[in-house]
Amino acid sequence: MAKTITLDDIVQRTGDLPSLPAAALKVMREADSSTSTAAGIAKILAQDQALAVRVLRLANSAYYGLQRKVTNLQESVVVLGMRCVKNLCLVAATYPWMSKRLTGYGLGPKDLWTNSFGTALGAQLVARLSGKCDPDQAFTAGLLHDVGKVALSVWLEDKTALIVEYANRAQVPFDSAERRILGYDHCEVGEHLGRMWNLPEELILAIRYHHAPDLCDPTSPLVDCVHIGNYLTLSMGFGLGGDGLHYAFSPACFVRLGLQPEALDEITDTFVVGYEEYETLFQELAKP
Amino acid sequence: MPTGTVLSVGMAEIKVAKGPVVYSCLGLGSCIGLCAIDAASGVSGMVHIMLPEAFKDKPVEKPGKFADTGLPEMLKLMEKQGADLGRLQVAYAGGAQVFNFGASADSRLDVGARNATAVEALVLKLRLRVLGKDVGGSSGRTVTVDTSTGVCTVRTVKAGEAELCRLKSV
Repeated sequence: MAKTITLDDIVQRTGDLPSLPAAALKVMREADSSTSTAAGIAKILAQDQALAVRVLRLANSAYYGLQRKVTNLQESVVVLGMRCVKNLCLVAATYPWMSKRLTGYGLGPKDLWTNSFGTALGAQLVARLSGKCDPDQAFTAGLLHDVGKVALSVWLEDKTALIVEYANRAQVPFDSAERRILGYDHCEVGEHLGRMWNLPEELILAIRYHHAPDLCDPTSPLVDCVHIGNYLTLSMGFGLGGDGLHYAFSPACFVRLGLQPEALDEITDTFVVGYEEYETLFQELAKP
Repeated sequence: MPTGTVLSVGMAEIKVAKGPVVYSCLGLGSCIGLCAIDAASGVSGMVHIMLPEAFKDKPVEKPGKFADTGLPEMLKLMEKQGADLGRLQVAYAGGAQVFNFGASADSRLDVGARNATAVEALVLKLRLRVLGKDVGGSSGRTVTVDTSTGVCTVRTVKAGEAELCRLKSV
């Protein structure tokens, strides 16, 4: 089927395109650099008051159980650590647009958020268990893995039924059906956005290949962690839309990460326990 | 319109009630929501199972998490409230799988199918009368049972809401 709209059209013509605040992108880079300091991160965060307020609110949430209230940004970085603040910053920056309803994908309010946050925690857990990549990087990649859906949803609204019907009839995964009907899938749209935001290449690959980790050349432990994190999230039913679990699973990721298949149930259990502990953080995010 | 209290049955939870209630298991992926009703005593229960069997080397903190501990625990709680297990009527749904699991994939990685198999074996072993089941596939499900009417419905984003079966009402 011919493409009706190009990837560039989507980026240029989508009215409510997701965005990452400049400060959040800078914090990501700063936290990953070898010369970063708490003062440096705090200085960047201070450039975006709305973001800074949300990060402080999250730092003081019941989830972290701090002995006393953290009132300034530098203190929050010292107490929680740079990587943790980087993740809080991303969570605070993405929540506003990830918590919206995405009709095109049959996702209710907060469903994409639930699914993305679940994938972030799952990828982080798998990274930690395998020791094959940085758990915080896996968290970031998991959180952003479906960003393409936010941009694509509005263009899908009259085509979802067609895509689902084609996926069922042709017995192909949902992302294959997206490519067949639209000419591209939400992973490619996400890659396009990632490049627009100038995200690090490894994050772009995780977004691009999260449903097809075996096609990433060379294969990447980060992509594998996000794939399994997403599998755990879909399996547990966190934020399922019309595409449901209609995706392929690559058992090769398990092998590449050195994980044993019989460990899946324990991984799933640890994942769900961790996810439930985070619910206090969700409550904090949902406050106006 | 449902008349009873709405009881949301979260992951690994077991809820048991006497009298009319509406049970709801939201957003089931590979998990399974199983409901049983003893119409004569008015006792009913629902369990939201996550995994097929309890870990051998760990204490079970939430019996509802596993099929092999969750279902017996729910029946025990129902019996305490006066249910006669011989009269139970049962319905269950869930156990979805990712669409393309791969022919060479290790079946231990397929939680949905293993959950469905475990529940099926257990209801047979416990001689429970199953009036409706909707397992497998690749859609997320929400299962609702109104014990005042016995109607059990399954909703998916793809297909909307459909009646699975009618259990004998309380």
